Amino acid sequence: MKLHCQDITLSYAEAETPVFAHLSFAIEGPGFHALFGPSGVGKTTLARLLIGQIQPAAGRILSAPGRRHLYTYNLERLPGWSSVGHHLDKVTPPARRPTRDDLVAQFGLENVLGQRFAQLSMGQKNRINLVRYLVQDFDMLIMDESLANVDEPTRERILLKIKALFPQRFFLYISHNVVEVARFCRQVLVLRGAHRQPQAVVLPAGDQGGGRDPSSRDLQQTMLAMMNAG
Amino acid sequence: MLLARRIYQFLIVYALGLGLLLGLKYALRLSNYVIPDPALIWQTFAAVRGHYLSQTLDTLYVAIFGQIISIFVALAIGIIGRQTTWFGALVKVAAYNVQAYPIVALAPIIFILLGDGFFTRLTIAAMICYFPLLLVVLGVMGQPVGDIEHFYRITGRLRWQLEVKIRVFENLHKLTTVVAGSATLAMAGTIVAEFIAANAGIGYSIRIALYQSDLGRILIALFLIGISLSVYQGLLEAAGAWVRQRWERMEGGL
Repeated sequence: MKLHCQDITLSYAEAETPVFAHLSFAIEGPGFHALFGPSGVGKTTLARLLIGQIQPAAGRILSAPGRRHLYTYNLERLPGWSSVGHHLDKVTPPARRPTRDDLVAQFGLENVLGQRFAQLSMGQKNRINLVRYLVQDFDMLIMDESLANVDEPTRERILLKIKALFPQRFFLYISHNVVEVARFCRQVLVLRGAHRQPQAVVLPAGDQGGGRDPSSRDLQQTMLAMMNAG
Repeated sequence: MLLARRIYQFLIVYALGLGLLLGLKYALRLSNYVIPDPALIWQTFAAVRGHYLSQTLDTLYVAIFGQIISIFVALAIGIIGRQTTWFGALVKVAAYNVQAYPIVALAPIIFILLGDGFFTRLTIAAMICYFPLLLVVLGVMGQPVGDIEHFYRITGRLRWQLEVKIRVFENLHKLTTVVAGSATLAMAGTIVAEFIAANAGIGYSIRIALYQSDLGRILIALFLIGISLSVYQGLLEAAGAWVRQRWERMEGGL
């Protein structure tokens, strides 16, 4: 299981500079990986490219983990005509109902299932949205700031749960939280902007909960490497 | 509440208009033949109210039927036109171009082809309120609700019925507002049709009053048209609010 892109070039219409110019990288999977970089560097664009929503002007994706790729972002909403529990029921395949119940409990959502999406807090909205993706059939899930509004202890619990439940899936976690990314992700793809070559570098990271327990020194080194790379 | 607001808004506007006319009458010392005084208006009201009320209701029924037809047609065309296929694009372009033509100008042709009966009035009422409805429905149906649709699209669950349901739900307020607003157009279309050539309805009564230069009758017809339309629009708005509340409360299935 490997995500391998080669020589990708992509520009938006009317933009003076390309988003990607000869972007190449490879991330060995499976596991929980991160896509990191400053705002506007092209993280969401790369995610959309990886799921086939947009096509590059040149270059290609040489290999991707499996065939079913999903992308979720933190601003997604559930329809307002019924409760979030009802929506979850509708989109959960029968075989994954125990997983859904486990996730709902672990994510602290049992008490909100009877409510409408609009009635939830931002953090609850993020978590409910993520649950419905995690119960789908996927090989790669790209999580674009999916836990942006969730408090730190809950986020830690959620990330560890995801890693424990889905060790054979490929995750790409887009986040601006350096500490979190360095601690929980196995590899970090740092996007550096089209004007720098190489445009992306892949760094090893802490992978806590994935069979490793990184020391604070390791984490500091990872964070330093991420900041220097960016 | 919506109904009461509609009615008193109309009564205020009608009273202002009547006051302006009477002000002109007394300022310019116009005779009762040009602008009747309040006593004469009241006498006329007492004489024609029953007949005019039944004619107004006749017009209102035609307008309501015409509006229902136009809502269904606009929804059907809007659902087809939302597609990104060549056919959807063709429907959208055709709809935008045809609505630029003043449809009331086609009324004489419809009278020639269909005669001056019920179906002619119905057709003209439907045609006049159809295009503004269609433009709004096309706008609503053609605008993806990305934050909601994304999940269903990426997981392969987005059928056209669900897509339409999401877009209607997210724009329910806009749709109910335009449906209530199009009631005026349907009524106007029916009255125009009756005014041109029909042999029934309040528009036909206005035409006769016009030939007799009887402003009193015209003012009473306008009052009955306004009050019945206000009640109808108020009921439509209340029904829209009820549908919204009910849809938000019920456990609808996907």
